[in-house]
Amino acid sequence: MALSLDVTELTYQQRIDALREEKLRCTREKQTLLGDMDFDDWGQILPPEDQRDYVHVMSPSGIMIRDSIIKGFEVTSNHPSGGFFGPKAVGDNYRALLEHHPVTIDPLSSLAGAYMLNFTSYRRPHWNPDLSYEHLKPVQEQYQLLHGIGGMQHLTPDIAIGLRLGWGGLLDHIRANRASHGPEKEPFYDGLEAVVLGAQNWVQRHAEAARALAETEDNPQRRRNLFEIAEVNAHIVSAPPQTFREACQWLLWYEMIARMYNGSGAVGQLDTLLLDYYEADVAAGCLTDDEAIFHIACMLLRDTMYCQLGGPDRAGRDVTNPVSFLVLEAAHWLKIPANVAIAVGRGTSDALLRRGVEIMLEDKTGIPKFLGVDNTVPDFAKNGYPLEDGRDRKYSGCNWCGIPGREYGMNDLIKINLAVVFDVALHDMLADPTVTPSIDLLEQRFEDHLRRAVATIAQGIDFHIAHMHEVFPELVLDLCCTGPIERGEDASHGGLDYTNIAVDGAGLATTADSFAAIRQRIVDEGRLTWAELLHYLDTNWAGPDGERARLMMKNVPHYGHGGTLADDYAARLSQMYTRLVLEHPTPSGIKMLPGLFSWAYTVKFGEHLGATPNGRHAGDLISHGANPDPGFRKDGAPTAMAAAVAAVQPGYGNTAPLQIELDMSVIDQDNAVEVVSQLIRSHFELGGTQINMNILDKQKVLEAHEDPTRHPDLVVRVTGFSAYFASLSPEFRQMVVNRILADD
Amino acid sequence: MHGTVFDTQRFSLHDGPGIRTTVFLKGCSLRCFWCHNPESIRRPPEIEFYPERCIGCGACVALCEHGANTITDDGTVTYDPQQCTVCGECIDDCFANARVLVGRAWSVDEVMAEILQDRSFYGDEGGVTLSGGEPMLQADFTADLLARCRAEGIHTAIETAGHYPWSTLEPVLPLVDLVMMDLKHLDSERHRDGTGVPNERILSTARHLATETNKPLLFRTPVIPTYNDAPEVIDRIAGFVRDLIAARGDACAARGETPAPVRYELLRFHQLAGDKYRGLGRANRARDLEPLSKAQMDALSQRAHAMIHAGDPTAIIPNAQ
Repeated sequence: MALSLDVTELTYQQRIDALREEKLRCTREKQTLLGDMDFDDWGQILPPEDQRDYVHVMSPSGIMIRDSIIKGFEVTSNHPSGGFFGPKAVGDNYRALLEHHPVTIDPLSSLAGAYMLNFTSYRRPHWNPDLSYEHLKPVQEQYQLLHGIGGMQHLTPDIAIGLRLGWGGLLDHIRANRASHGPEKEPFYDGLEAVVLGAQNWVQRHAEAARALAETEDNPQRRRNLFEIAEVNAHIVSAPPQTFREACQWLLWYEMIARMYNGSGAVGQLDTLLLDYYEADVAAGCLTDDEAIFHIACMLLRDTMYCQLGGPDRAGRDVTNPVSFLVLEAAHWLKIPANVAIAVGRGTSDALLRRGVEIMLEDKTGIPKFLGVDNTVPDFAKNGYPLEDGRDRKYSGCNWCGIPGREYGMNDLIKINLAVVFDVALHDMLADPTVTPSIDLLEQRFEDHLRRAVATIAQGIDFHIAHMHEVFPELVLDLCCTGPIERGEDASHGGLDYTNIAVDGAGLATTADSFAAIRQRIVDEGRLTWAELLHYLDTNWAGPDGERARLMMKNVPHYGHGGTLADDYAARLSQMYTRLVLEHPTPSGIKMLPGLFSWAYTVKFGEHLGATPNGRHAGDLISHGANPDPGFRKDGAPTAMAAAVAAVQPGYGNTAPLQIELDMSVIDQDNAVEVVSQLIRSHFELGGTQINMNILDKQKVLEAHEDPTRHPDLVVRVTGFSAYFASLSPEFRQMVVNRILADD
Repeated sequence: MHGTVFDTQRFSLHDGPGIRTTVFLKGCSLRCFWCHNPESIRRPPEIEFYPERCIGCGACVALCEHGANTITDDGTVTYDPQQCTVCGECIDDCFANARVLVGRAWSVDEVMAEILQDRSFYGDEGGVTLSGGEPMLQADFTADLLARCRAEGIHTAIETAGHYPWSTLEPVLPLVDLVMMDLKHLDSERHRDGTGVPNERILSTARHLATETNKPLLFRTPVIPTYNDAPEVIDRIAGFVRDLIAARGDACAARGETPAPVRYELLRFHQLAGDKYRGLGRANRARDLEPLSKAQMDALSQRAHAMIHAGDPTAIIPNAQ
């Protein structure tokens, strides 16, 4: 009997379709075994069942998660607490983890590797208890500050360095610089070396595994592919990548190693990083556009890296190139969560924006997002930096950008919930028997408390910068930076030329609407006394008249409506916040950049906040970043929202993104691309810095909210990140639903 | 100058090209039984009452001198429109929004302030649409608004039923960049059945618009089940539009002008106005109509397209949903 051989040859599209199905299967498995995932949909896959164990840990984003770890792998502690701290211990443990990490090769993908672990889940405790910041805690707790101490990554590496040197070149570079420093730098260089050696081990094992698989593979297409994977990886174990495929593979290794190490997803200007390889391979006749799209898609499949397409180079010329479009097409082929962003400005490519909007309308996955480079670039220069440095900053995370390899930022890690500061100020004023309450006094108290909160944040930043390197240095990102290897200093400890710390405000609308409600109902109309307000807030609007009082306060025209008291307050509060953050650097002289962004903390930030004068119940979520509250206007006009958010921009290089949902049934017409593009351009012309947009099929979202299994492939942009809707917790799904239902 | 306006809508995408602000003027000369904006029909302000939102606080009862609002022992509030003078006293105290005042006097400045808020979003295509109701029932206010928009360089459009003498519309037209007009039925008796008025004036306005002006025109037919959804009814209307296109072509040729586009689209009937009828305490005579499916609408659109195609192939645009 003849053996039947599978000789099927699949197209690139068919291979991507199959890879997507496999990702969906993995995602469903993660949803079942790990539970809700209220964060970026990482490409993480689960370890093999017989090697799998589970832990509850703090994620790199600072929220408790259930994570999977590998059985039998233990880290080595160097501290009585059971933790491991300092560059050598961290580097050695990470190398050991990489050496234990299983190999993953999918014969349909052109690239090897997938990551299963988060190093952070092995770090218990995260912080070295010998390094105490007890002195800061009372104020941090009073204002419920997200202080950022111990926060990681959120800086942009310069991946061009890694692509140029390869792992071998990086190792040589480390060793050469080690020789020019004294013994006190040894642990740092040991740590860096350990990471590179661990990476090389992981890559090498994939090359070997691919070859072994190829030798037993019958299908000719898969067999050929596996041999190619083996060759690509054998080559880049040490040498720098030469071809487009090798560059994608190298970039993916670096990205996965950075992601596993401490959650970094920062890539920066992806189209430029890959351009030389693309042009060389196309010129040599060994790469088609479809194949290039396929390689990029195989890379994006394994990690939802944050990357920028288009935008100015140092001289201000738009860098949009053929690869920009290929990256967009790759995201379009995949239709999975991805964090691809397009630069939009006077000098950027209309064609790129148009294609991006077309894809967003067709796929309805919230991809891409949009960057207002005409504002963020000069805004950054307002800090006293050259315009060229502003242009160098590249999008690399939810709401932020950074100069690749040269700027330490703690972006998106530090949040001041303005609504909590307001709550403290209001109670402080009303408990003070020596004063007569007034709206002016309330604003004064708010400013005093906000100043105190900012000062505590500043002290926390100094503490972090002083100690983070001896707790958990940025060993992976250090490899692709200018400074750490040369100076022997971690990125978190002055290793980079720039340190600009992003400090974000949250809950602007909650606060502005509260001020406006007090002003109108208590001061102007005299419908309520201060004592009554306090009573209602402290009883969470209880009592026979509570609901009426709540609705009365809630009914005051909101921030976002346009031309209202609340709009004035929002602008004033943003200016006040900006002024207080810029007023003084930290005590050690570090610059802080004000922004408005709550990331996904709108739920968490509301949990421990009592009722607020805008008619919000205790425990309800706060408003999102700089956005008006859902229901801010009867027509829910996106233009009103876009104008409002543009008017409250702090404007110093940190952002205040516009989060916007458009219902497909409203814009489903032949000029939808023009309408959406106009909305985007106008927001940026008015001063906007970033747009996170969802074009949604409202019905589908509502169905998925009721039963997530009905639409397992539904992707939404939750905030700066996109995720599978079904992976979110009920609270997060509700948050998205609230935003789209508000105008009903 | 003041007008009675019952709503404004920013980011309006279905009332003309691009991103627009639509201003809805109150009062209409037609009484279409399916009207999607029943609150637009009568000129004076009205109160909509939504008992399901009411929290039974009783504030409206205490404030009403006319006995229009009453409350039972169990806290149920009732509203009697017959007793109500629409003085509006109770509106500001109804924090639950169970009472909504529809329509009030707006000054031209007030409307312009609202329009200018979105000026940055209009771009080259978008702008302002005056809709209703029938904006030409407030012709002076409409003309003032259009003149102000023109002065600001904002694209202007009006949505009108056309049921008035040509001399009403003619003086306003120099201020208008696009005219949108409904053609509901070509049979005048049937037109009267559905809308309360015959169609002769409307068709006359349409002919004047096509031949005496060279404004871009968009004719639209709301396709109402059981009323004008029969293919032959749509055929007749499309045929009328085809003839208008031809007539415009001739008129422009005589004047040595390039004809501006005359387009036609079908609008789908929907049941979204049910709540508003309830809030107004008014009978919804279209309550039992089943909206046409997208496939049915597409089929009618294609027929209309075929009918007009002999003229300008760009004259038809896909039906709005």
